[in-house]
Amino acid sequence: MRFRLPAFARTTTFRLSLLYAVLITVYSAALLGYLYVSTVGFMANQTDERINAEIDSIERAYRDGGLARVSQSLIERASAPDRYFLYQLETPSGIKLSGDLSDMPSEQNGKVGFEIDARRPDGTQMTVNAEGRIIELGNEARLLVAFDAGERGTITRRITLAVYTAAAVGLLLSLLGGVLISRSVARRAEELVHTAEAVMAGDLTQRAPVRIWDDEFDRLAERMNSMLDRLEHLVRDSRHTGDAIAHDLRSPLSRMRNRLEAALARPLAAQDAEAALRLTIEEVDQVLATFNAILRLSRLDAGTEGRLVRMDASEVLVDVAEFLEPVAEAAELDFSIDASRNMHVMGDRDLIMQAMSNLIENAIKYTPAGGRISVSARRAAEGYVDLIVADTGPGIPDAERDDVKKRFVRGDSARTLQGSGLGLALVEAVAAVHRGSFEMSDAGGPPEAPGLKAVLRLRRA
Amino acid sequence: MRVLVIEDDRETAGFIAEVLADAGHEAELVHDGTSGLERAQAGEFDVLVVDRMLPGKDGLSLVREYREGGGASPALFLTALNDVDNRVEGLRAGGDDYLPKPFAPAELVARIETLDRRQSGDMPVTVLKAADLEMDLLARKVTRRGQKVDLQPREFRLLEYLMRNAGQVVTRKMLLEKVWDYHFDPQTNVIDVHVSRLRSKIDKDFDEPLLHTVRGSGYRLEA
Repeated sequence: MRFRLPAFARTTTFRLSLLYAVLITVYSAALLGYLYVSTVGFMANQTDERINAEIDSIERAYRDGGLARVSQSLIERASAPDRYFLYQLETPSGIKLSGDLSDMPSEQNGKVGFEIDARRPDGTQMTVNAEGRIIELGNEARLLVAFDAGERGTITRRITLAVYTAAAVGLLLSLLGGVLISRSVARRAEELVHTAEAVMAGDLTQRAPVRIWDDEFDRLAERMNSMLDRLEHLVRDSRHTGDAIAHDLRSPLSRMRNRLEAALARPLAAQDAEAALRLTIEEVDQVLATFNAILRLSRLDAGTEGRLVRMDASEVLVDVAEFLEPVAEAAELDFSIDASRNMHVMGDRDLIMQAMSNLIENAIKYTPAGGRISVSARRAAEGYVDLIVADTGPGIPDAERDDVKKRFVRGDSARTLQGSGLGLALVEAVAAVHRGSFEMSDAGGPPEAPGLKAVLRLRRA
Repeated sequence: MRVLVIEDDRETAGFIAEVLADAGHEAELVHDGTSGLERAQAGEFDVLVVDRMLPGKDGLSLVREYREGGGASPALFLTALNDVDNRVEGLRAGGDDYLPKPFAPAELVARIETLDRRQSGDMPVTVLKAADLEMDLLARKVTRRGQKVDLQPREFRLLEYLMRNAGQVVTRKMLLEKVWDYHFDPQTNVIDVHVSRLRSKIDKDFDEPLLHTVRGSGYRLEA
């Protein structure tokens, strides 16, 4: 199995935080290094200079008055209240003449570092570091001037400790920050992942949580949610269509089955058998017509049907209206056509014909006898042509208007009448193919029969 | 009438042969495009019935090559698809008519018979006659027994189509397509309403009806 880091560590944020921590550490190290050199180094230099000055001054005393003068001077210096240095004077052979130490460091000349036993003010013994220089005074003696580095060592140690602590704490903090940030980012990403997984598992009602910050995650979650809304809508629609097809086709198929069973069960007179078969064929034709309509709608949706050419929309409208006029008259409806010629659109003649045919036939079907249907073509604003069918029927309640455009949805009042429930869906699809629109509204009748005004809006050409 | 049926689905082909035999026609069945073209080019057939989807050579290419080779018999396309593009393609390739599956037997027979009729009467005519009914195509005038009949433009076209196919059954679908250029089925019995209007104009005042309804199929204009 592959080794897997914890979730927060497998994030871009974590990798970036880590990089950031490294950069911060390098920067702090440089800064602290500089601080160290400029304090501890400076102190060391200063000490060297003071030792050199002290030695110069003792050498001057030697030149002026020889060894006796040096001894005299050393005694004075050692007894000064602000005494700062340690002194030791020996013969070249190593015999102590005077001084603070029991013996000289073994080095010959130059810089030396050694440890000395010292006495604290409370009387306890301690070991401190000392640094100094040894010089020769003529051939007579060797002189050590040293400095008790105890105090400076303490400062150096403190600074060193501070530098190391700061570096460690800095590194730790930036790592901790990185982990915290990546965990919070990872958690929010994880929420989106969970939502996506739940949706993939089939629960389309899942939504990603949106916080109050309107940050990039909130915006992402919002987009994801509206995408899911749309998806859920589409899936519900197609589920609805599937259910509706099954439902709509089940009844004619079971009727057919019953009729065939009945025909098998007992011998029928020739004319009864013929009648039964005719009815069956009619019903099969209905089923096929429904399938054809579904296929046609799918092709329209997929954009594989519909060839748009410049054509006179009012001419098509008048053709369809005149074709259907006798049916309206037979249904005792007053039928009027009002369309001037030359309303050119980019359109598919067959599709516009079928859409208008559906609208006019609907109007004929739903308008009670004695009513009125008016079909018209108008130039609408902004380069559109409106093809309008208005009737004095019961209309469609506002709340149902969007629904009846869906496949297999039929208005409450239409349920008892024959029809596939695909007519308005086709008009809607035709409008979409033409990049136009299909709107329905009240036709302005009295409240009990507001009528329906259906408008297919096409782009003028 | 001798009909060449080029259809790869054997059951459909057999069904078509039966339907044609019942109507008194003789059908020969071929099940792929290549041998279909060969048989068609033998020139023994009055009408070709061609499926669009065929093994060997598709229906469109078959008819196109048949026409390029000088073949003149009318061709009817059968297809599972009924959309505008398909119909237009079929007619451009040299087809004379187009029938989507599934089809009613009466529809197929009526279409094949009018196709053959079109073939035999290729002289341009200016006057159509059926019994005592006369149509002058140039003057756009119709008379019956010398008496003028007033017709709307669409009624004129409807009668013209019926007269050109006098003695033949024409289906409602054919009238929809040829007279009104409708390529889908309206939900209502609108064709019947138009025909009965026309009938009231040409038959009402005369004892011998000319425009007959053929049950289960369509209409026929006949003395």
